[in-house]
Amino acid sequence: MRVALLDLGVGNLHSLEKALALALPEATLYVDTDPAQALAHADLLVFPGVGAFSGAAERLAPHRQELRRALSAGLPALGVCLGMQLFFDASDEGPGEGLGLIPGRVERLASPRLPHMGWTPLEPAASAPPLPWPEAVYYAHSFGCRPVDERVVLAWSSIEGQGGARERFAAIVRHENTIGCQFHPEKSSQQGLALLGALAREVLR
Amino acid sequence: MTAALRRVVVCLDVDRGRVKKGVRFEALRDVGDPVELAQRYERAGADEIVFLDVSASAEGRSTMLDVARRTAEVLFVPLTLGGGIASVDDVERALRAGADKVGINSAAVRDPALLGAASARFGAQCVVLSIDAKREAPSEAIPSGYRVVTHGGRTPTELDAVAWAVEGVRRGAGEILLTSIDRDGARTGYELALTRAVADAVGVPVVASGGAGEPAHLAPAILEGHADAALVAGIVHDGLYTVADLKRALAEAGVPVRRTP
Repeated sequence: MRVALLDLGVGNLHSLEKALALALPEATLYVDTDPAQALAHADLLVFPGVGAFSGAAERLAPHRQELRRALSAGLPALGVCLGMQLFFDASDEGPGEGLGLIPGRVERLASPRLPHMGWTPLEPAASAPPLPWPEAVYYAHSFGCRPVDERVVLAWSSIEGQGGARERFAAIVRHENTIGCQFHPEKSSQQGLALLGALAREVLR
Repeated sequence: MTAALRRVVVCLDVDRGRVKKGVRFEALRDVGDPVELAQRYERAGADEIVFLDVSASAEGRSTMLDVARRTAEVLFVPLTLGGGIASVDDVERALRAGADKVGINSAAVRDPALLGAASARFGAQCVVLSIDAKREAPSEAIPSGYRVVTHGGRTPTELDAVAWAVEGVRRGAGEILLTSIDRDGARTGYELALTRAVADAVGVPVVASGGAGEPAHLAPAILEGHADAALVAGIVHDGLYTVADLKRALAEAGVPVRRTP
């Protein structure tokens, strides 16, 4: 199995690369700066999670149509944090088009303390498959995905919202062979690595 | 209803690639290797690791990047690098080496625009404003009664700690690492009034630092000081308490924490 990690030039891929190697020991890992090249050889395409939406969208723009086509046709894809946000239409964070694979926007979270930085439990949706649910996962983000159809959400997380309300956002989404998580499994210790492997296998099956 | 858990952050002072003073871990061969210690603390349940570079030379700093690189290969909790970060290029080098966040202290005092530049380029979530504060009588210049100091407390600045935290966040810091110089190493508990004044004034997470001497000291930093996280060093390095001891004390005090490493 060949796993291609897209290097969008927006951050450090070190940890995610190491985490994928541990979580998917059977995989051969490639780091590709060219999405076209990644598409040519990948059984699983991984969209990494550091940086700003606009910068990453700009890097993807020349390949947007071919990526959309390949992922819509069933190529398994896994997005982490910003990588998951890129599966949606657009973001409050800045201009640029997402891949538009999952209808919905990325919106600024409503919370008195942002970024949401730290460990937060997952709340699996009733429809979620059996996954190795960790006690908590590590987040570092100020924006959250708002899918039009909430049936794509496999798990939620909640933080303190405005005026004592709670702010719930999508933690894991899945649409066909595209899966994404808002948290950083590669920063969520051993339980995070186990979940990372399980998320990848969900779409590889 | 679930919510964000509170964090226990373990800090290691690193001097030219070695942990200063060493750490007492059972059956540990090398008490001074930051890479091995960071891994140990992850397994012990630390929610984050901070490496504070205390070497005063350029050579020490390049050694630090190598340490970060080797740590990032094996560590699967967030890593913050602090000490000697003076420019956007330094921030980039630290992040490229594998740090998730970078702590900026005296360089931000000298040039506050550095916070905005780093934040615009790499995102607020990786820019930590590190503030060292010292108590004094409140005055017109220092209304909170906490003055920002640099160089381990030796150099006073003209800044009020609370006002500086607010300005730092406005300029782009995504987290405040707040150290009480009066409490640092004293092991008498965190400076709660300082922690609370800053945490209530800013809309980003605050990590309380300085003063932890026993497990019971952590919960007040969060419940009374309104911190998101508590940083510890000596009390775990000396082998007096484990991270699990600290987490247990927090949980018993009603603070939600991650219990399984």
